[in-house]
Amino acid sequence: MNTKSFFTLVERETWEHRGLVWVPVITAALIVLAAIISSNVSGSIRLDVELDGESSAFFARLATDEVAQARLFSIWMGSIGLPVLVITIIVLFFYLLDALYAERKDRSILFWKSMPVSDSATVLSKLFTSMVAIPLWVWAVSLVMGLLTFLIIALKVSGTPIAPLGKFHLGAWLVLQVTLLQNLLLASLWYAPIAGWLLLVSVWAKRAPFLWAVLPPALVMLFEEIIFNTEHVAQFVGYRLTHYFESASMGFNVETGAGSQVIFDSIKNTYEGMSAASLLAEPHLYSGLVVAAIFVLLAIRLRRWRDDA
Amino acid sequence: MTDAVIVAKDLRKHYGKQAVALDGVSFTVGRGRIVGLMGPNGAGKTTALKAILGLTPFEGHLDVLGRDPRRERDSLMQDVCFIADVAVLPKWLRVSDAIDYVAGVHPRFDRARADAVLARTEIRRRSKVGELSKGMITQLHLALIMAIDAKLLVLDEPTLGLDLLYRRAFYETLLNDYFDHERTILVTTHQVEEIENLLTDVLLINHGRIVLDAAIDDLPSRFVQLIANGESREAARRLGPIYEREVFGRTAFVFEGREAAELAALGEIRTPSVADLFVAKMAGSAS
Repeated sequence: MNTKSFFTLVERETWEHRGLVWVPVITAALIVLAAIISSNVSGSIRLDVELDGESSAFFARLATDEVAQARLFSIWMGSIGLPVLVITIIVLFFYLLDALYAERKDRSILFWKSMPVSDSATVLSKLFTSMVAIPLWVWAVSLVMGLLTFLIIALKVSGTPIAPLGKFHLGAWLVLQVTLLQNLLLASLWYAPIAGWLLLVSVWAKRAPFLWAVLPPALVMLFEEIIFNTEHVAQFVGYRLTHYFESASMGFNVETGAGSQVIFDSIKNTYEGMSAASLLAEPHLYSGLVVAAIFVLLAIRLRRWRDDA
Repeated sequence: MTDAVIVAKDLRKHYGKQAVALDGVSFTVGRGRIVGLMGPNGAGKTTALKAILGLTPFEGHLDVLGRDPRRERDSLMQDVCFIADVAVLPKWLRVSDAIDYVAGVHPRFDRARADAVLARTEIRRRSKVGELSKGMITQLHLALIMAIDAKLLVLDEPTLGLDLLYRRAFYETLLNDYFDHERTILVTTHQVEEIENLLTDVLLINHGRIVLDAAIDDLPSRFVQLIANGESREAARRLGPIYEREVFGRTAFVFEGREAAELAALGEIRTPSVADLFVAKMAGSAS
């Protein structure tokens, strides 16, 4: 298996699951469209720009403070792609569940197995698609979408009192893109055990992979709650699902509705960038990767003798 | 035999306690042969093929092109190709993508050859498999497989569900454009009559056991069919036929290991067809 073959396998995934490619693009297009048709730009940035005294003061101050401008720019440019990420995660969830199940259901597994492609290469190509290829695609799509949206908003705010929002900060933008790329790959590492679990269910389930993926953990949580009246499993799973977003959203700790002075200061002083790199220091990231590796190895082994639907 | 492509010794496989799929199967397939593996449903044909292709675990010794399919499947698939059934190409696959895929993953794929075979069909490049007829899907699959320079080609009921024209064309293409006496083909089918002319060897399997393993060229010296009537039927029965049946008031007997000369006096003599032997052997190995 050389690199060319491996990329053929990844390409194959996009032929079968075209949503992996198109859903991020369509979601991004909808965001751009929303920016075009929105008469009030404020909706995009969640700041009250009804120019009462408070807001006027805010934007007047913003106009003269480059650092605060760049940070606010990073915050809204960094968060505007969030819908693309969230929707792609949902698409990836169903992709991974289907990845090793559909080939048995439509019996095409016998065609794939007639080619010199090992079970490891097959399973890893699907994992790679979900953890590297599609995150890179989401990043690229979000980058273009961000620039387009910025352009539209810049045009709309020019000449208004909120014109400081339309200033492009190249340095902050470059840092942001690197951060977002890094965050996407960190998200892959953080969610790897879930990806591994979905692949394992996908290769194993004779039918209804969705139920097999979701019901067992749900039942365990339910029984724990009923029998022991505790929620350890639920907390464990909930932590795995949400903690990535907690790590990556430090930049969003902007207090709103507390007067322009407080908002301004919180943008400027509590902004720590939006890197999720703090995850790298967490043992949970690494224990998750070990679990992911076990799930993936099991999936590879199970596919070896799987040829029946 | 240094030129053996497949050497199987005492293959055994059962599903659960009762269902025995392979019950001590041994055979050898030489290079450049076209072997028909035939038997009724549930005889163990597909299990034997799956064992050869490394798709199912089993007990016993099996050597395919010098490798054990259980442990060395990944390297084995460089040299082995198979068509398992007409329905296995997925519906979403585009014809042009199918070619790109095989070209991408198979080091021995010759794209120009696949293009040449496809050019003789009505298959359009932009079509998806789901839009093609069953016959066209088989043509596509055959075009892909024929463009691979494999040492062993395994076909499991490749023409199932196709009409006669497609079935004919399938085997003609295979024989004229693919087979070159270096390659080896192992084929299973229900349509015994249609392929018996192209086979060099026949393997009959029933209840997980090989009941006949013979080169087609050896059949005349091993088997004799006698068509007899009247008194001579009793004489024929005393010579121990392996099978008999009524044909328009006369009786056709199949003998194994009898000289044609000693039977000639009793009636018409000829060499039984593979289909005749199939019926005879299946009846003989029943229960």
